[in-house]
Amino acid sequence: MRFSFGGSAISMAMGVRCLCSVRRFVIIGLILVGARADRAHAIAFDDAVERYRARIVEDIGQALAGARRLRDCLTSNDLDGAKKAWIAARGGWERSEVFTSGLVPELDEKIDAWPKATTGFHAIEAKLFGAARTDVASETDALISDLADLDAKIRDMPLPPQDLLNGAARLAYEVGESKSDGGESRFSGTSLDDMRNNVTGIKQAYHTIFAAALAARDPALAESVQSQIEALNALLDSPSLNAVDSDKLRKTSEEFVVALASAAPKINLQKPVLEDLSK
Amino acid sequence: MMMRPRLASVCAGRARAAAIGASLFLEFALATSNTRAFPVNGDQTALPVGTELNEDALDRPREIFRSEATGGGKSYLVNLGDLAFSSSTILGGVARRAGISCNTCHVNGASNPQLYVPGMSTRHGNFDTTGALFNPKADDGVLDPIRTPSLRGARVLAPYGNDGRKASLRDFVHNVIVNEFAGPEPSAAILDAMVAYIEDINFLPNPSLGPGGRLVAERTSEVERRGEALFFKPFPHNREFSCAGCHTPSGAFVDHQQHDVGSGGLFKTPTLLNADFNAPYFHDGRFDTYGQVVAYFDKAFDIGLSAQDQRDLVAYLNAVGDGERPYEREGAAANIKEVNDFVSVLDIAIPAHDREVIGLAVETVGAELRETAEAFPERKDASVLGGRQERGLARVALKELVLTLRRIDLAAAAGRFDDAAVEYRNFRYLMVSAVPTILMKAEPWSLFNPSVHDAHYAALQQTFQTAKRASH
Repeated sequence: MRFSFGGSAISMAMGVRCLCSVRRFVIIGLILVGARADRAHAIAFDDAVERYRARIVEDIGQALAGARRLRDCLTSNDLDGAKKAWIAARGGWERSEVFTSGLVPELDEKIDAWPKATTGFHAIEAKLFGAARTDVASETDALISDLADLDAKIRDMPLPPQDLLNGAARLAYEVGESKSDGGESRFSGTSLDDMRNNVTGIKQAYHTIFAAALAARDPALAESVQSQIEALNALLDSPSLNAVDSDKLRKTSEEFVVALASAAPKINLQKPVLEDLSK
Repeated sequence: MMMRPRLASVCAGRARAAAIGASLFLEFALATSNTRAFPVNGDQTALPVGTELNEDALDRPREIFRSEATGGGKSYLVNLGDLAFSSSTILGGVARRAGISCNTCHVNGASNPQLYVPGMSTRHGNFDTTGALFNPKADDGVLDPIRTPSLRGARVLAPYGNDGRKASLRDFVHNVIVNEFAGPEPSAAILDAMVAYIEDINFLPNPSLGPGGRLVAERTSEVERRGEALFFKPFPHNREFSCAGCHTPSGAFVDHQQHDVGSGGLFKTPTLLNADFNAPYFHDGRFDTYGQVVAYFDKAFDIGLSAQDQRDLVAYLNAVGDGERPYEREGAAANIKEVNDFVSVLDIAIPAHDREVIGLAVETVGAELRETAEAFPERKDASVLGGRQERGLARVALKELVLTLRRIDLAAAAGRFDDAAVEYRNFRYLMVSAVPTILMKAEPWSLFNPSVHDAHYAALQQTFQTAKRASH
């Protein structure tokens, strides 16, 4: 079963309780329940969520189109074209990570597997970029199939605002992770692009769904969240991954997540949970 | 805790390194092909491709402190020094980007025999402190790596540096930070704390040694005691010399002097205490074993040792160089203890409104906690089966601690020290209540479990192999 994050964090903690002792339930509650939503002023996010859906349909569409172009390049044995198509596909995917890890975890695990990269982007990347090999047709077919599956799903699946807030916070925290090992896409050397696309994805989720509601209830906090997103963008406007000020990036990413946690109760949501705890 | 491998932008290739390295490479590649240390790959890593920091090791040198051995506890100064020792911010520049701290080479205050940095090392366990990687201004144009010494007992081992160039430990630490690593000038308070920490690191006890550094008869073998007699015996052609003449048993097996033993200059006498765990030997780490060292001296000073004499001396060195429980297992408990020790500096720093120490604690402990979280693989790591929810909870708990530290930093930066104190109490509360339970429950599915660890790194290695095969 998946626990609903759209409800309260308490309900999730109760779900966890099925597995655990009462004591563990209590301590997990302490960690997960930090803020109480303001229930007196319900906010209708429905229209905003539908606008956001249109954006992610576009992003997944770009990922799928890139993967199909990659497949064509393999057929014509065009290594450079294949690499470019992989990078284009990757961009759409990385912007979508706000919702993929929490809402479609089983597809996320296939599409973005690491380090046991036998399927997905990194399996293809290792051969294509690391070894200059184009024998990735079966991996690419599987990627196309998974992305097509995702493309179909996102058109009508529920997109609970709480899950999207969780996803934005999780992804922002991840942007602050050390990339001294070359980052997520080390064979293609596009880890910095991954991070930029992550921030673009966070920005589009925040702006489309939460910004107006927060600005109406706490303009100062809304302004500070906005300036942190801009700061993340500025820190990633760097000529190379190695030139990124990683300490500042980590600090800003954490400050952004802290600000989102403060913002959550003001817009009638729970403090973001930074991991997908579904089974 | 350092689980993550780190690597590599292509090193600004030093031609001389390539030339010298080529001849040495094969020899050392053969000698070290069975190491567990983990390969790195990619072209945008912060250290040269192929760097091995051995951060995934599950057995870490055990560290003991004089303050605790005498029934007390580590002081604020010692904990602050330990924190700074583990902070990449202190070293600045490339080290900061690569997440390298003093502790990377001196793991838990000991050494790191598996450390290897292409272009800066000629073998595992040595490193050129006057190369271009960390400070181009200190580059002396020659690949002259030296081995990383253990800092156990350093307080009684002056002078400092392999050639004994600094009488003061404080001067030596300052030189490492500012000149070897091009780090920012450390504050006097931080430097004093680092010295206090290093001076608190004890040798591991060795029950084979009694008063005057002599073997305890009932705890040692006849072979070892024969070796001890040879150790004191004058060299036949240089009767003013003996092993014990420089490695004074009653004085931590050093004489605080520099000597030319034909290895390429004047180098200070290294201690033999706990030396079983300090290989490789000699200033440049040229020897892997005591057998090679003894054979070298036999030849260099024409001592005329028989094969049996050499075996006896090696047995003696092994007895002298031993130490109780030299390694401890990496795991959730060890990480929790370290974080508690580090973060304890806030007991004093927050009430004192000491923003420098608060900032250092937040950055360093936060980085440690982020790395600890990586030991609990996320769900898309298919090399780890089971315990998904337990791993997820461990990651959530650790992330919550990181964010609590960030709140402390935000409050302190805004001058809201009372709020910082409240957040700090929350942090301490989580560390004694929820966190230990959650991490222990997830440990069977973490990289602290050897079988999970091996499966994870095997998967990573497999992916690297896939990426490499055709590139050669």
